[in-house]
Amino acid sequence: MNKNLILVYGAEWCADCHRAKALLDQYDVKYEYIDIDANAAGKEAMLALVDGRNTIPTIVFADGTVMQEPSNDELLTKLSLRPSTDAETAIPQHDIIIVGAGPSALTAAIYTTREDIDTLMFERGVVGGLAAVTDKIDNYPGFPNGVEGLKLADDLRLQAERFGAVIELGEVTAIHDEGKLKRLETTSGDMLAKAVLIATGSDYKKIGAPGELEFYARGVHYCATCDGAFYRDKRIAVVGGGNSAIQEAVFLTRFTTHIDLLVRSTIKASDVLQRDLQKYVDEGKITIHLNTSTDEIKGEGTMVSSVTITENGNKKDLEVDGVFVFVGLEPNSQFLETTMIKLDDIGFVLTDSHMMTSMPGVFAAGDIRSGATMQIASAAGEGATAALKIREYLEGQPHPVQN
Amino acid sequence: MPKNVTIFTTNTCGYCQMVKKYLGAKGVAYEEVNLDEHPDRQAEAISLSGAMTVPVTVVTQHDDSQDVIVGYNLAKLAPAVAK
Repeated sequence: MNKNLILVYGAEWCADCHRAKALLDQYDVKYEYIDIDANAAGKEAMLALVDGRNTIPTIVFADGTVMQEPSNDELLTKLSLRPSTDAETAIPQHDIIIVGAGPSALTAAIYTTREDIDTLMFERGVVGGLAAVTDKIDNYPGFPNGVEGLKLADDLRLQAERFGAVIELGEVTAIHDEGKLKRLETTSGDMLAKAVLIATGSDYKKIGAPGELEFYARGVHYCATCDGAFYRDKRIAVVGGGNSAIQEAVFLTRFTTHIDLLVRSTIKASDVLQRDLQKYVDEGKITIHLNTSTDEIKGEGTMVSSVTITENGNKKDLEVDGVFVFVGLEPNSQFLETTMIKLDDIGFVLTDSHMMTSMPGVFAAGDIRSGATMQIASAAGEGATAALKIREYLEGQPHPVQN
Repeated sequence: MPKNVTIFTTNTCGYCQMVKKYLGAKGVAYEEVNLDEHPDRQAEAISLSGAMTVPVTVVTQHDDSQDVIVGYNLAKLAPAVAK
């Protein structure tokens, strides 16, 4: 017997034996095959090696190690073989790649990195996501006086980085299922991950009115904390009636002389925010227009001069220098549209009760998940849940069947 | 490395932090003009960028050519500071 040869003990009826042999053949690995049904002495030699565990294939390597029923993946690892494309391009591999770096992603990263699971995050915009561009957050637990969005985002980042999370400033453009590994196309090249967490969150919706695109960033804005300062002593309109719109309108009063609040139906913000709003209405700093559509944003040259509205059926122009839009959120899921990952009708990612998507090993948490509540506290909670479910997945624990 | 880099920012702007973080990571020195502290320089930012937003990053090369990057836009910022 050649000492450098690999021995494969198997039988004709054993499918896994054929699989293992086919893999070795594919990689031109020389081995000696011993059919234990035909070779009683061979069978006895095998049983002696494995303390009587009568399982095949049993594979004995040149270094003396023995594997029983190894998966293809385990075999390739043992033989330091990988599919040639990987070997040639040396695609970087991580345990988990998290797409996004908002509150959900950062919380998940705190959990995974604390358990020494190698975690890489991708952020194409601002670390902290929408939370980072929100002026003040009053409903995140643990901050009796509220917390600035930027501060919360920065603290979450520091906490994740303390345990070893790495944030890459770039974008993931596609996710491919390659069995045990997922391949991600990114602006830093292809990357492999054993599990992926999609936590790309959401962004403010456009209203779709004429003038909105033309005056983008020159009178039409979606970020009060970024662009509010340009409206010192000016008149503006804020479009929207939800929590974000009311909160940002109140924030913008520190700069502006007057705000027209354009609300399509009625105000849907929380009572606390509505009480806050009323204070500014009483002072004459904000005028509320209910049942109002925002029809057109008009301007002269590069500056916005007015907004055309229909209030209770009456069309009119309001003189404003700028328009801030907060009319709800849309999912950042465009990069998933060509993948096998199922989205709901609006484009949010569908998950099962373990937060796994329709692509095994790919999970979703936070604002991007279908059914999410669009709250920072919920996003953080979902991030923690997803991290624990991903750990179970990586440990090979059974996963419930897809819905 | 460019001759100089100026960033127009405000106190509350998250994207401004990202530009500063990126330049810091690349070892690019920059001058910051905080428009909350220097509102008199707002007109300068608007005329350079044609927009009422921050961050505005002005990258001046050694031949005095300029790139003006509006917002946090790595696709434009990265090549401009790598010149």
